[in-house]
Amino acid sequence: MILTILAREPLHGYGISQRLTTLSHDEFHVNPGSLFPSLYRLEQDGKLKAEWRPTENNRRAKYYRLTASGRRQLERHRERWTRVSFAVTSVLEGA
Amino acid sequence: MTLLHRLASIVRWIAYRNRAEQDLDDEVQAFVDMATADNVRDGASPAEAHRGAMLDLGGVEQAKEHVRTVRHGAWLDAVGRDVRYGLRQVRRNPAFSGIAIATLALGIGGITAMFSAFDTILIRPLPYAEADRLVMIWDDLRHEGVPKHFPAPAEWLAWRRHNAVFTDIAATQSRDATLSGDAEPEQVPACRTTANLWRVLGMHPLIGRVFTEEEDENGVRVVVISHGLWQRRYGGSPDVLGRTITVNDDPYEVIGVMPREFYFLPAPDIDIWVPASFPAWMRTNFSWHDAQVVAQLKPGVTLERARESMEALSLQLTAKDFRGPHSVILTPLREEMAGKTQTALLVLLCASAALLLIACVNLANLLMSRGAARGREVAVRAALGAGRRRLVAQFLTESLVLAALGALAGLALAVPAMRFLETLVPETMGDVRLTLDWRVLAFSAGVALAAAVAFGLVPALRGSRLAPQDALCEGGRGTAGARSHWFQHALIVIETALAVALLTSGGLLLQALHHLRNNDLGIRTEKLLTFETPLFRYQDFDRRVAFVNALLESVRAIPGVTNAGAISRIPLTVTDQATFYLLAGQSRDSIPEQVALTRVVTRDYFPTIGAGLREGRFFERSDRRSESPAAIVNESFADLNFPGRSPLGAQLKFGQLDDKGYWYTIVGVVRKIRDRGVTEELNPTIYRVHEQTDQNGGQPSGIVIRTAVEPVSIVSAVRQAIWSVDKNQPIWRVQTLEEIVDRQLSTPTQSTTLMSAFALLALFLASLGLYGVLSYAVSQRTNEIGVRMALGATSSEILLSFGRRGMALMLAGLVIGLVLATIAARLMTSLFYGFQPHYLPTVAMVSLILLAVGALACLVPARRASRIAHRSDDGPASRIDPAGAWLT
Repeated sequence: MILTILAREPLHGYGISQRLTTLSHDEFHVNPGSLFPSLYRLEQDGKLKAEWRPTENNRRAKYYRLTASGRRQLERHRERWTRVSFAVTSVLEGA
Repeated sequence: MTLLHRLASIVRWIAYRNRAEQDLDDEVQAFVDMATADNVRDGASPAEAHRGAMLDLGGVEQAKEHVRTVRHGAWLDAVGRDVRYGLRQVRRNPAFSGIAIATLALGIGGITAMFSAFDTILIRPLPYAEADRLVMIWDDLRHEGVPKHFPAPAEWLAWRRHNAVFTDIAATQSRDATLSGDAEPEQVPACRTTANLWRVLGMHPLIGRVFTEEEDENGVRVVVISHGLWQRRYGGSPDVLGRTITVNDDPYEVIGVMPREFYFLPAPDIDIWVPASFPAWMRTNFSWHDAQVVAQLKPGVTLERARESMEALSLQLTAKDFRGPHSVILTPLREEMAGKTQTALLVLLCASAALLLIACVNLANLLMSRGAARGREVAVRAALGAGRRRLVAQFLTESLVLAALGALAGLALAVPAMRFLETLVPETMGDVRLTLDWRVLAFSAGVALAAAVAFGLVPALRGSRLAPQDALCEGGRGTAGARSHWFQHALIVIETALAVALLTSGGLLLQALHHLRNNDLGIRTEKLLTFETPLFRYQDFDRRVAFVNALLESVRAIPGVTNAGAISRIPLTVTDQATFYLLAGQSRDSIPEQVALTRVVTRDYFPTIGAGLREGRFFERSDRRSESPAAIVNESFADLNFPGRSPLGAQLKFGQLDDKGYWYTIVGVVRKIRDRGVTEELNPTIYRVHEQTDQNGGQPSGIVIRTAVEPVSIVSAVRQAIWSVDKNQPIWRVQTLEEIVDRQLSTPTQSTTLMSAFALLALFLASLGLYGVLSYAVSQRTNEIGVRMALGATSSEILLSFGRRGMALMLAGLVIGLVLATIAARLMTSLFYGFQPHYLPTVAMVSLILLAVGALACLVPARRASRIAHRSDDGPASRIDPAGAWLT
């Protein structure tokens, strides 16, 4: 989900958590305690790149954006999710 | 993710660590700020907004810690912290750390030095191509009392022709040679060899070439010289190739020089190699045993298969041999070169391992008692959320820090120890230096790691198991509960067992060495000068006799010389073969059973070496060349052939045993002379006087001189005396008999010294350890002692109860130790040099020493405890140690 959000535009940590809440219609509240480690892990693995930029409110924040490798990973995840959700839906509706 | 990527990220993290931390701080701060700003926008007061943001975050430090733990190399950070903490601990407890590091240094240093010797002598490849496929072949003449006999050149020929398991077989004969002509006459160790020797060994000359099969076959006089001789006598000039030099008065052309590192049996200092060119009679005579045979196994052929195949071949080849068929013995070249050292090294390596183990046991105990004392610290850490795994890791890191420091100190100890161990390297291995190379360092690091786990793991597991509330409630006196006792008991038992095994082994070796040192050689070794003077220039019998007599006459005239004699080979340097003999009245069928050593001596030989006479007489002036020569036999010969009666007057014949041979009359029985080596069995021996031998008899080229002054002081006078008789006569291997004995005893002395050192260290460490374990046990029970004394127990009862338990454990250790010692003694049998040490007195002595140490170790702390308890009689001795079960 982080990858999807960042696929649209680079964002900072707080932005990501806000966007997640909005996009999930208030279904997901991501705890920063698990958001930051995820971001770090993705960055270490080379899926994300980070840089310090000023925000629209003229505050400095660390913006993350997708790398090529991250984009590929996103594609893979999306494809798998489509398959799995299709399968799950099929089972649920078929039963 | 690739390993490389991972490593890069770790490196990056280390390099930019501070920046990364700063980044993290900033990022978390930015998050809080933005969340606060949002909350304010939603209508909260700034304070409430901030609080909400913080709640969202779940704590700044926690959030950061979460990030840190997912970071690659986060564990490095933890390890780094632990190492620093470990080092701080080392500094904070200098006494504890000092003891621990010194103990480890002894253990690790000892085993490292031993391993370097072991590695150099037994593991590192020999300097030959395919050294693993090289084997030596010996004749198995066990039925003649010679298990490993030199093969005959005739056998070599037959093996080479008929075997199916070797790519090639080479033969050598060791023959010292005289170099003369171009400079002073010089006697050098030399070797006759078949042309294929270098191909079998896979060695090439440094310059020039080696000789060919044709040159060997046709007896062409060519010679290959050693690097040493090339430098020494020919100035290292390449012109030496093609030069003609005089070897044993014959001209030889130098065709090659071997590289400096080349060495091969029988001696590392061979200077010249000439073609063996076996004469026709040697090629057919199966009884002329004087070759050394080395062969290269075909690829894929195991030693076992070669052995079977060669045994069958040899039995078949010797089926018609007049002394009955015999088999062969195959030994890997490595084993041949390492010789007896192999066992000595193995034993010493085991001993040093045992010592290290004792050191580890001591440390485990030290750490245990400290672990208990640190119960509070552990409890606090656990309360603050340190997981068990984290605590174990921290304890183990501390052990590792200690082990690493111990290993460093151990290496410092190992270097001088290695200089000492170099004297253990057998002469056949050439000039070997022991070095701290990467293998030794890797070994040492591995040992340190293993030691850290060995002495750190149990204390770490126990220390971390401590339930926090217990430790805190107990007011920091934390004990690890009743379960700790099996471990302490095990420590006592292990320590006692290892110390007993080492002490017993050391004691047995000391006995063997003492026996060797005081072994009656039958020779008065002091003030006896010996040297050799080859007699090849005196082929003619009468001239030779005259020369030897004149030589001895002129030596005796030197002031300070009390007597001089000659024998075929200098005592204790002899590796000779046995000869068949026939007693008058015996049938020839008994020959295969009867072999004896023979010696050719001059009349003054026996008085010169100080031999004793059992009956009859020594040789006299009247024993001149005659048809009825005299012989002197030794006690072994007399006891074997004439049990219970006198051999005087009996007649015997030996050597070729043909009809022409002389019948010798026994005129005397000489007391045992152990001239084949300090450790050798005594064989039946026949002595003849040089004036009564025939052309084929041995030549008395070994001169022994008894002096009234320091033997070395007359060496130059002796040279002058001999050169006054014949100025071209070479003289070499000038040495005193005491030097020869010392050299023979050097390996036994070294191994025994080392073993004793290990044993004493073991005793010392074990005493310390036992005292430590027992006093710790007692200290844990001070309260209980107080209670018992308050209830009316007397000091002596308390002492007794402690002593009983401690002694029971030590006895258990003693029994296990004795079993270990018995196994060790079996392994060491060959180190006893044919001597059966007295096992029981040694064991009794060792047991007494250890029990005494154990008694002190039990009683001193117990006594102290009972005094303390006395003093606190009126105080509250109310808390009963939950670990009190130990005593009852």
